[in-house]
Amino acid sequence: MKQMINIRTLLVASGVLLTGLLFLPAIASAQGEEVSSAIRRYKDREASTGYYEEYEMLPRRQRPFVEIPGVRRGIFPYSPTAARVRVRMRLADSHQGIKFYERRRCEDCHIEQTRDIHTVRANITCRQCHGGEPIASNAHYFSPLNPIRRHAYVCAKCHEGASASYASYVVHAPNPLMAGTMKSFPVLFYAFWIMVAIAVGTFAVFLPHTILWGIRELFIKKEKAESEPDNEN
Amino acid sequence: MNLTTKTRIKRFSPLQRIFHVLLMLSFLTLGATGLSRMYIETPWGRWLGGLFGGYEAARTVHIYVGIFMLCGLLVHVFYLLFKINWQKFPRSLTGPDSLLPRPDDIKQFFQHIAWFMGFGKPPAFDRWGYWEKFDYWAVFWGLIIIGTTGLLMAFPLTSSRIMPGWGLNVAFWIHRIEALLAMAHVFIIHFFIAHLRRHNFPMDRAIFEGSASLDAVRHEKPAWIERLEKNGELDAVLVTEAVPGQQIVFYVFGYAAVAAGLFLLIGALINTPYISW
Ligand code: HEC
Ligand code: HEC
Ligand code: HEC
Repeated sequence: MKQMINIRTLLVASGVLLTGLLFLPAIASAQGEEVSSAIRRYKDREASTGYYEEYEMLPRRQRPFVEIPGVRRGIFPYSPTAARVRVRMRLADSHQGIKFYERRRCEDCHIEQTRDIHTVRANITCRQCHGGEPIASNAHYFSPLNPIRRHAYVCAKCHEGASASYASYVVHAPNPLMAGTMKSFPVLFYAFWIMVAIAVGTFAVFLPHTILWGIRELFIKKEKAESEPDNEN
Repeated sequence: MNLTTKTRIKRFSPLQRIFHVLLMLSFLTLGATGLSRMYIETPWGRWLGGLFGGYEAARTVHIYVGIFMLCGLLVHVFYLLFKINWQKFPRSLTGPDSLLPRPDDIKQFFQHIAWFMGFGKPPAFDRWGYWEKFDYWAVFWGLIIIGTTGLLMAFPLTSSRIMPGWGLNVAFWIHRIEALLAMAHVFIIHFFIAHLRRHNFPMDRAIFEGSASLDAVRHEKPAWIERLEKNGELDAVLVTEAVPGQQIVFYVFGYAAVAAGLFLLIGALINTPYISW
């Protein structure tokens, strides 16, 4: 009986202590953040993003209650549970809980991502960049494709010396023809349409011009044509 | 054919003709290698790439020939600097012998169009028609746009130090559209003007032979001949026709280039639906 009470107090006490731990500041460790000074040292030489303060290290201690802020489809927000399923941006296994995943091919579900040059032309497989199972979300802290290490962990496998800037190349580039690209990649969108305008403009002028010219020359009057001997070019 | 009387008028210097031949050769090579890569998903593209040693080798050829073409542009710019008559500097560039656009060109363009429609008389062109000037300057800006974006993509590790890597996505599309425009313009409009229209049919040899038929020029560019006659300079620029052997070479070379261009144009058009964009 006495022992029972002791165990209960022990449990309650340790429970309180453990809960209290959650409210303590994160433990500082030797692997603390690599901090870059405000002066950007070695900026021109280093193959990194320079975002050390924020992400380079272990994730900070998570808050105990994970919530996913304001994710919505159209005007209706998802419930937190639904959002957690749908937003797989930060999962260690981005396909966690997706049914029949094992038996299918990447392109069954990710058609959009199969149109890039690496896949279409160079015959690179998805896994050469995204890695083996589990495929982490790109924004997961430890994902090899997280922008903070993408250049070193993925691109540099084939593009020796790839820098963080190089890795900001958009592998699955949106099609600039699409209206959505105006938002997702505005520079590409406008550059594309300006070039198209130049091309179409040139042709709108010179195609009819040249056709009309060709036709008109067929009807040059005889007297004039006489001063133009056959085949004298 | 008359090989003794001077029936032709000088139009291009040997150096200018060499520039044009080199431009033709490098342009067609770049077009073929570039399209072979763009169309690598199709049998046509793979066949075309095979001519250059496959998909990767085509890229190497493309880059070297592209750099060669850019060097050509550089040499041409130096050539211009030597060629410009600096004594009469600003005026020498605004005259009718210059390829710089003049207000007259715009007028003549509209007058020409009016004539196509059956209004008025054709404009009395001087040495260079507006379409010739356009072609000349189109090569200039085309080369600069395609050349810079091409260099950015050829050395992506270096270029991503001076711009963000996503600039390569943008460079890729600018390069592609400008190149397609250039090819379409050359393979359709330039070829038509130089070969198919009645005035030049079957081929305008001037760019190979260096001279054009005086009669034909008098007909299309009367202002030029008039100016030369008035200044008494005409006789100095008259030359005889090239010997038949040379002419055969010109025709064969010219038509080979047309055939290559049309092959690329038609192949690209037919296969457009079969590549991922
Ligand atoms: C059964 C369908 C299915 C298959 C098969 C599938 N995925 Fe996914 N994948 C999804 C869904 C659904 C998501 C989550 C929604 C999203 O982020 O697009 C996802 C997410 C991802 C993400 C994370 C996206 C992000 O924003 O971080 C990556 C990377 C990914 N998949 C790669 C692959 C690769 C590579 C393969 C092939 C080995 C593959 N997927 C096969 C359905 C599938
Ligand atoms: C050359 C490397 C590479 C290859 C090959 C590759 N990916 Fe990706 N993938 C990336 C990168 C980098 C991102 C991050 C977003 C970006 O830059 O487009 C990404 C993002 C994604 C995403 C997240 C959504 C998005 O577009 O951002 C999915 C899903 C995905 N890839 C699926 C695939 C599938 C499926 C394949 C194979 C058909 C594939 N990837 C092949 C590098 C690659
Ligand atoms: C498995 C090998 C491999 C990986 C990993 C890889 N690439 Fe590539 N990449 C290639 C190959 C092969 C080509 C050539 C494709 C071609 O010539 O069309 C290429 C081409 C490119 C190009 C075009 C270069 C040019 O000439 O314009 C860019 C940009 C590029 N990759 C960026 C990336 C980035 C960014 C990553 C990292 C997310 C990456 N690559 C990862 C193999 C790879």
